[in-house]
Amino acid sequence: MARLSAARTTAATFAIALFALAAAVAVMATGPLGVAPDQLAAALFGHGSPDAELALTLRGPRLLAAMTCGAALAGAGAGFQILFRNPLAAPDLLGVSSGAGLGAALALLLGAGAALVQGAAFAGGLATGAIALACAAMTRSGDGRLALILCGVVAGALAAAGLGLVVVVAEPYSQLPSITWWLLGSFTRATMAEALMAVIPAGIGAAILIWLGFRLDILSLGDEQAQSLGLPARPLRILALCAAALMTSAAVAVAGLVGWIGLLAPHAARLVVGEQAGRLLPAAMATGALFALLIDRLATAFGPAELPVGLLSAAVGAPAFLFLFVVSSRRS
Amino acid sequence: MSGLLLERLVAGRKGFRLPPLDLLVRPGEVVALIGPNGAGKTTLLKTLAGLLPPLQGQVARPGKAAYLSPPGSVAAGFSALHLTALGRAALRRWSPGLALADFEAARAALDRLDVGHLADRPFDRLSSGQQQLVLIARLFVQDAPICLLDEPLALLDPAHGQAVEAAVRALAAEGRMVIASTHHLPFAAQADRVVAIGPDWIDISAPARALGPDRIRALFGIEAPACPCCGQAVG
Repeated sequence: MARLSAARTTAATFAIALFALAAAVAVMATGPLGVAPDQLAAALFGHGSPDAELALTLRGPRLLAAMTCGAALAGAGAGFQILFRNPLAAPDLLGVSSGAGLGAALALLLGAGAALVQGAAFAGGLATGAIALACAAMTRSGDGRLALILCGVVAGALAAAGLGLVVVVAEPYSQLPSITWWLLGSFTRATMAEALMAVIPAGIGAAILIWLGFRLDILSLGDEQAQSLGLPARPLRILALCAAALMTSAAVAVAGLVGWIGLLAPHAARLVVGEQAGRLLPAAMATGALFALLIDRLATAFGPAELPVGLLSAAVGAPAFLFLFVVSSRRS
Repeated sequence: MSGLLLERLVAGRKGFRLPPLDLLVRPGEVVALIGPNGAGKTTLLKTLAGLLPPLQGQVARPGKAAYLSPPGSVAAGFSALHLTALGRAALRRWSPGLALADFEAARAALDRLDVGHLADRPFDRLSSGQQQLVLIARLFVQDAPICLLDEPLALLDPAHGQAVEAAVRALAAEGRMVIASTHHLPFAAQADRVVAIGPDWIDISAPARALGPDRIRALFGIEAPACPCCGQAVG
């Protein structure tokens, strides 16, 4: 169990974030159209060589999308894990990912363009989260957390059924491959506009969660404790859930279904900075950004045909999660 | 400050209601709540805290009320110091973080209850007795003049029990209104008043009367020997 002072956890979080930035520079320096760090810096400020500018235009959005997506999924995952005091809580707890998948698949079925697909995925994710929240609000169980988990499972299952229907209805040679590819997850399709469309809602969600900070710690103690401490438990929890759903929808809309980051990154960060929400959230987001970046680099490492990021994140994330679990259980 | 006033209050849940209760708890007073398991002590405390709506009657609170669940029922992976400082959360309405003053107050409260050395330990790793002292330290930093403690002595060894009893009395000595449910009759004997909840009656008396052998027999159906000097049942 980490027993770190505030100053040391802050330093650790900065170290992870710096490492993620360094990894981003390293990724840009390697592979096709590699740019040396000094050229990259020059291009960022608008007076780089033509080669560097081209590399930044072509590879920058993908990098930004990967890091945003990783940070958003990790932040949302950490938020859910704190709120539900459940180590298995993941960003798709409210069925948001399935809903976003359904939105994207429907848009692809109707032949929409990339921006519209992203918009539909975003809307689908938020709508599914809203349905789960509304259903949970109708129940009257003492502590609302169980109702939320159950309603999230129901909303997610309905969205998944709808997604299955779309897959069955889709034209097998033209539409189905694009739907399947979308669902497997990728950062390649992001343009700068699409990356920014993810950055803004994810940033808003992250700002809300970080502001909630110590209030999340109180919510994790349960509704009775929160009310006894003079906090309005229900509105704050709904705010936190909306923020996390916003971040998840933004991430899934730009990248498709990329699993395990939201589960793995908070656990890795927790080993370093401990359980306090105010410390865990930034550390988890930096870890998620780093993880997504490395997974995306790995996706291009096996020759010209890229592997889907969603597959790799599970193939790497699941064993890494097991490893972290073994390490943390031995430490305690 | 006037006291916590209950007027013809009927506490209960679905399919279960307590008899009506009139009571005024003054600042500085410790009221013990006794009765068999399932009599409705927790329901009454939660109604007083505002966590459950009263079925009938009214509760007038002169300030905020804090409800503390029995030892061992709060789980938190962060430090005891942070958990204590969270007691000041209501003061930090729009602030993104707790203030340094909150942590100083929390540390002082932990020191006061002799658990200052546990400040940086994860709360989950403490014993039930240590956890209970940390949670009572949180009541000291919290702006809640009404403290409702649900079996604060359950699960505790005699040494931690004594420390918690002293802490509960210290809460009241600072002008708070304290109501604590308990099965530990010597604690009830030290209270200012005792509220006994029977199967279909509620009685409010001084400890000497409420804890007599006949009352204990009526309440729990057991024969408790009377203390030769004070006549109270020896729990």
